[in-house]
Amino acid sequence: MKFDKKLLLLIGLVVILLLVPMMVTRPYFLHVIIMCLLWAYLASSWNIIGGFAGQLSLGHGIYTATGAYVTMMLFNTFGISPWLGLFVGGAAAVLISVLIGFPTFGLRGAYYALATVAISEGIVVIINSTHELGPFSVGGAEGLIVKMVGDSAAALQFSSKIPYYYLILFMLFLVIAVSYWIKTSKLGYCLIALKEDEDAAAAMGINVRNNKLIAAMISAFMTALGGVFYAVLIRYLEPNAIAGGSMSTQMVFLSIVGGSGTILGPVIGGILLSLISEVIRFYLGGQLMGLHLFIYGVIVLLVIMYQPRGIVALLGQIVQRFSGPKTVEGGVSGVKDSGA
Amino acid sequence: MKKRGTRFIGLLVTMVMLISLVAGCGGGGNSADKAKEIKIGTILPLSGSAAPLGKIGQQARDMAIEEINAAGGIKSIGGAQIKMIYADSKGDPATGVSEAERLITMEQVALLTGCYQSGVAMPSTEVAERYKVPYFVDVPSEDKITERGFKYVFRLAEKTSWRNRDQTKFITEMAKTYGTPVKTVGLIYENTAWGQGAVKAWEKYLPEAGLEIVMKEPYPTNSSDLTPVVLKAKQLKPDIIMMVSYVSDAALLTKTFAEHQVKPLAFIGTSGGFADPTYYDLAGNASEYYFDISTWEPDVNRPSSQDVNNKFKEKYGYAMNAEAVKAYVGMYIIADALERAASAEPEKIREALAATDINQGVTQMYAAQTKFDETGQMINAPIVICQYQKVDGKMERITVWPQEEARVGSHIVWPYPGAGK
Repeated sequence: MKFDKKLLLLIGLVVILLLVPMMVTRPYFLHVIIMCLLWAYLASSWNIIGGFAGQLSLGHGIYTATGAYVTMMLFNTFGISPWLGLFVGGAAAVLISVLIGFPTFGLRGAYYALATVAISEGIVVIINSTHELGPFSVGGAEGLIVKMVGDSAAALQFSSKIPYYYLILFMLFLVIAVSYWIKTSKLGYCLIALKEDEDAAAAMGINVRNNKLIAAMISAFMTALGGVFYAVLIRYLEPNAIAGGSMSTQMVFLSIVGGSGTILGPVIGGILLSLISEVIRFYLGGQLMGLHLFIYGVIVLLVIMYQPRGIVALLGQIVQRFSGPKTVEGGVSGVKDSGA
Repeated sequence: MKKRGTRFIGLLVTMVMLISLVAGCGGGGNSADKAKEIKIGTILPLSGSAAPLGKIGQQARDMAIEEINAAGGIKSIGGAQIKMIYADSKGDPATGVSEAERLITMEQVALLTGCYQSGVAMPSTEVAERYKVPYFVDVPSEDKITERGFKYVFRLAEKTSWRNRDQTKFITEMAKTYGTPVKTVGLIYENTAWGQGAVKAWEKYLPEAGLEIVMKEPYPTNSSDLTPVVLKAKQLKPDIIMMVSYVSDAALLTKTFAEHQVKPLAFIGTSGGFADPTYYDLAGNASEYYFDISTWEPDVNRPSSQDVNNKFKEKYGYAMNAEAVKAYVGMYIIADALERAASAEPEKIREALAATDINQGVTQMYAAQTKFDETGQMINAPIVICQYQKVDGKMERITVWPQEEARVGSHIVWPYPGAGK
């Protein structure tokens, strides 16, 4: 009975999401929704290594940039469709994640976080000062323009926003499915174990480094796909915007505020916070300088102060209140009920 | 559990209050008479590191629009008033795109202006092109902005490469005027996109003018010692030394050149560090007789320039800069186009902008003639050369070239007499 209700709710939600473009006719609103879903997607991708495995990566901008640049360079130079290019871009991101992870995952403490910061800063500098790479034009600090070919499904270029909406919706479902699979698989349990106590996990016979590496690779690949989506949506890559610190920290931030380590936390955090930021900018952006960012900051501060386990835990408790004591995700995320 | 519940309610109430506060603020301003109002959307970096530059652009626009509206608005549309709608790009391309979408589809602006950074201009102009709404780009100078075959994009600023073109023109002209033959040039530049871009342009324009590049010396930004670069220049003895530098390197190069008594015919900077107000503070007297390139200077000899700058100073407490001038003049060019279009329809405004040909009025403070080519690029976007000279013992940046725009009573010091001479 309970299962049916949940399933019904889920189907209803999916149907509503599929019907959104029919209800939202203004391109701007649809664009805002697309950006919110993109951030939810990126936060979820980060969450695989940052949340499930508890490895703080502060340089996920490398992967968005790798995915976006590799795919678009292939498209601009050889006309290779982004549909194929995204696999090359994703593979390149995976390779980088191994290059960072292999030497650092054997070590303890903040080495991984430090390595991700250092490498991402380095990569921003390299992209900024590289104009050409063999036959490819990189564009340097002036940025890479995605070649316009008009409406083309093969090139992922549409003048309407609707195809982008369905694409990012599909990607979001995909990352949720991947998260669900990880969480319920052996890998997920290994990750929780090593996140809680590496020594204990190792003593149980878990290969700590390999499990971290696998999580990092999956996360890098998913993040790179988000970068490709950014590239086809915005059609212009500016090194600081796609690879820079704000891209990297935003993913971390949305994920933590939403509830890192849970399946739906980053999704909710990504959608809610992006929406709030956009709504505030809509009303206040052109008025008092920076006021919209200030209010956004206050809201985030409130959430972190009153709900350090993330918005998802708050929602979990609300649901609990209305439906009696049941286990809701976020309530069982493995984080101890401390402080509050 | 009880305590926790009150906390949630407290939190919820706070959030609801904040959101309703926000919603309440946005309600104003819609009551004005829509029939007699033309909306112009402007995207600027109003927060983030470039916020001060966005602010001066906003002030310059506000001043122009106040004047235009006070003078009776757009007369061909029944004295319609122009209403500015500002949007914050945060200097971020994706936000710029979002805001362009919003201004066009929600605010239904007649045209867009902005947006300071080339990085925001590139993708946000594409949005305007897709919706067929004119986009008046006043400041961004990236060459490619008007090289993409767009029909709805108009740019008032010069292309970046034109600065290097005009430096070349200046050298040839000086060589002829002062009878000092120039054959060789040395290039010293910071090793990122900006410097590399300049070198690309120089490699095109200098050889065309019969000048040989004998030295190409990149260096990392914010170097602590540039003596090796300077010594190489001393040894190779190029007739002209041209530089692309941020301010600390510009000052360091200047001082090191003086120290080693390097004496070419001229030192020429490429704006940036050499135009920075702190350049003189750092380089001191060694900066004397250095040339730099610019598009507008407070002392430039153009009609209306002094008056507008004085008014701006009085209103906001500081002088205009070249970007503010472009923003200010841009509003008058837009008003002129609206007047001729006699309509707030984007298509008509586009046609009017394309047919722009202004050679009088306040736009003279920027250019004698305002006209766009078929790519939407301002033809003959003005460029001036200034020189650091001492006036009554005080170092000043003096506009010296072209002659008709030079500061009244100024003269060029050519060739470089040497440091401290």
